Amino acid sequence: MSPARGVWPVLFVIFLLSACGVTRSAPPTEVARAPIRHVLSNGARVIVQDFRSSDTAAVQLWVRAGGRDEAASELGLAHYLEHMLFKGTTTRPKGFVDRDVEGLGGRMNAGTSLDFTFYHAVLPSQRVLATIEMLADIGVNSILDETELELEKKVVLEEMRLSEDTPGRHLSRQLWGVVFDRHPYGRPVLGTADIIQKLTRDTLLAFYRRHYVPESFALVVVGPVNAAEVLRTAERTLGRLPRSGLERLPGSTVGSLVPKRLEVQRPEALAYLGVGWLGPKLDHADTPAVDLLVSILGQSRSSRLPQSLRERLALVNSVSSDYAALEAGGIVTVTAQLEPANLARTEAEILAEIQRIRENGVTEAELRRAVTRAEAEHAFSSETAEGRARRLGQAETVWRLSEELAYLDRLRSVTADQVRLAARRYLDPERYGRLAFVPQAR
Amino acid sequence: MSRLGPLLASGLLVLALGVKGAAAQEPTVTRHALSNGIVLLVRENPAIDVVAVSLQVRAGSHFETPLTAGITNFLQRVLLRGTIKRTFVQLAEASEDIGGGLDGGGEVESAELRGQALGRHWETLLAMIAEVALEPALPPQEIERERRLLLGQLKSRADSPFSFSLDSLSQDLYGPHPYGRYHLGLKENLERLTREDLLAHYRAIYRPEQMVLSVSGKIERERVVKAAERLFGRLARSGRTAVEEPPASAATGQRRVVERPAQQAQIMVGYLGPGLLDPLYPVARVLGAALGGGMAGRLFVELRDRRGLAYSTGVLPLPFRVGPTFFVAYLGTAPESLAAAEAGVVQELERVRSSPITADELARAKAYVLGQLSMERRTNGRQARDLAFFEIVGAGWDFPERYARAIEAVTVADLAKAAERLLTRPTIIVLQPSRR
Repeated sequence: MSPARGVWPVLFVIFLLSACGVTRSAPPTEVARAPIRHVLSNGARVIVQDFRSSDTAAVQLWVRAGGRDEAASELGLAHYLEHMLFKGTTTRPKGFVDRDVEGLGGRMNAGTSLDFTFYHAVLPSQRVLATIEMLADIGVNSILDETELELEKKVVLEEMRLSEDTPGRHLSRQLWGVVFDRHPYGRPVLGTADIIQKLTRDTLLAFYRRHYVPESFALVVVGPVNAAEVLRTAERTLGRLPRSGLERLPGSTVGSLVPKRLEVQRPEALAYLGVGWLGPKLDHADTPAVDLLVSILGQSRSSRLPQSLRERLALVNSVSSDYAALEAGGIVTVTAQLEPANLARTEAEILAEIQRIRENGVTEAELRRAVTRAEAEHAFSSETAEGRARRLGQAETVWRLSEELAYLDRLRSVTADQVRLAARRYLDPERYGRLAFVPQAR
Repeated sequence: MSRLGPLLASGLLVLALGVKGAAAQEPTVTRHALSNGIVLLVRENPAIDVVAVSLQVRAGSHFETPLTAGITNFLQRVLLRGTIKRTFVQLAEASEDIGGGLDGGGEVESAELRGQALGRHWETLLAMIAEVALEPALPPQEIERERRLLLGQLKSRADSPFSFSLDSLSQDLYGPHPYGRYHLGLKENLERLTREDLLAHYRAIYRPEQMVLSVSGKIERERVVKAAERLFGRLARSGRTAVEEPPASAATGQRRVVERPAQQAQIMVGYLGPGLLDPLYPVARVLGAALGGGMAGRLFVELRDRRGLAYSTGVLPLPFRVGPTFFVAYLGTAPESLAAAEAGVVQELERVRSSPITADELARAKAYVLGQLSMERRTNGRQARDLAFFEIVGAGWDFPERYARAIEAVTVADLAKAAERLLTRPTIIVLQPSRR
């Protein structure tokens, strides 16, 4: 999403450069310049944005590899590899994050999703070039030490337990499994305890060699930086890697939803309910309309589901809707936390609200508010270098940077009727996946 | 909107927030007094077209008793549910129309009403906060709605093993001191408190002499000062609320095992620590970071990296509290590793006396804490909250700058002394998963 119209009309114009020449014309008083995109000769991409609101810079390495690239017998591999990249390279002993990042006032972490994995650091700007070198190094030279690999198994199994003990988040993840069913998007990114216990270095190394290649990488740097210097450092590090010729398999097509109802007994005193539908994938004409639909349905205090279920009917403690658009498919979910006695009625009322939108549509005021909300979210996420870098990196990795920069304008052009049609097309109140966590009999 | 797919697994539990924030053009803060005594803090920050406002009152669970625990948060939540001019829905819609939202609550040391919006709507936002704070309706129906939601929140908090363990530990660390009660309050109070109780509490705490207003973002200072005087200056002076000294804290120094169904076992080892105005406070913060801050804290290195006993372990950052804070080491692990993990945590905390923090560890811990401090404070929302908070608790709005300097000055000798003084007689909570 790009910022509100008229705020910085020129800042987000995108420069598509094929060579190293960097042209910039923004006057020095501006806080942010347009992001620069540069493709290295081996296919790795670099995005730099000069952003001077503080002395902090964000440096991120995005990789086109995630849970969807795993075979069914190797679930959790992408995530496991992400952990192992913090364990040392051929020239960088374990502890480098401490020495080179945290010990100098920075932070580093990583995340694995279905379509991508990314490694992100935030640090004082004078550390930017050294951090690019470090990310390029862990990207291809990690040793994946055997002993470390065994030790890390316990850690990842702990992460699974922690995740299971967090009911709201756990429900959302399980609901994806219900809605995407047998598609890779329905599998657990953390993997299963069984597979993780048996994981070998060879399997991990094969995945690493195959997917961590220049064609998969996007380096994103945002902060008070010299773009030419950043590009030179990128050329000297990522740019030296040989092309691998990798053609990543596109995400497999998502089939149609098989309606399903599941109930799981859990130790909590409260119940958790989730219902979900398949939605449009990221690169789809309906994405903006569904985005606004979901926002109007349940993403703010004044939106429909909180107003009816939480306020007027007093059925739930909380309720919200969500839309995730991935490369090969999308998912729309509604989740609620409630007293177990209210489960049936809550589900019926969620569907009734959706039915009302399908029949009567949304108001112009609702639509305008949803667009404003998107504009504001964009503005607030632009306050920090990492907020900006994350948006740029994710778009470059799973979409196109130009689409991201034009996205708010696309939202503004959506009509109320398109939102109603999106509800009719995607949210069938008779065909959906449903999962509930209920307190176990004590 | 999380249109662009979710983050399904975050690598290492330490949250990445940002770093050193010596801004290219450091925004300036000015302090003003409105005619009725309300302190106004203004931070002009033209970088991004947003604005954040925080109004804080010196009240909260620190000043509550077993019979009132929860009343401040309850009141704050109800204030947001309607004014004499607008209903809850109208307020929500109006705040979303300006690209923002209103929120608030009563915490330990202060009660807050806050809001953010796109910068061009700063005056509308300021007027909304004034309306919520000074023209409350406390509608009976909305009080009942909020009561139900608060009781639900209490239940939900007890459902989370980590929160449940921390709340149990707080009870054992503080005993009768109000810090022993989570600021959401006690169930029986939330069930019992009436509109009259809330109204009386409103009158007792909403006094200009104990209120601070702060504004940070793309704004013009003079216009904000004028608007604030017009909007907030009308509240009549009425003196400060009389507060009684709360009972002293009394840590049990015991180990308590709580059984409940869960996948993970939780261990929390706690000690009472210095309040934020105590010179020992920055020392204790650095000590906490050396032991359990980030990926090089001793707990993380020893228990996660070397022994694989945990996914998450560390020392919680000291909370910003005026009275005694807590120093808490935590670890979550598999039930079968519980004994080894607990022994490991306690041993690391003991070991700091026999093998003191080294100069290298100190340098890293300082960089870690200073990095954290400046990273957290890069958004206007956080700046507005911090300015009002440190001013209202008596530390002064510029406390973070002085705190940073004090952290830089910490020596290894300071750490050794602090460890000696603080890390004795642990109070321990063990959450042991029971069979389902």
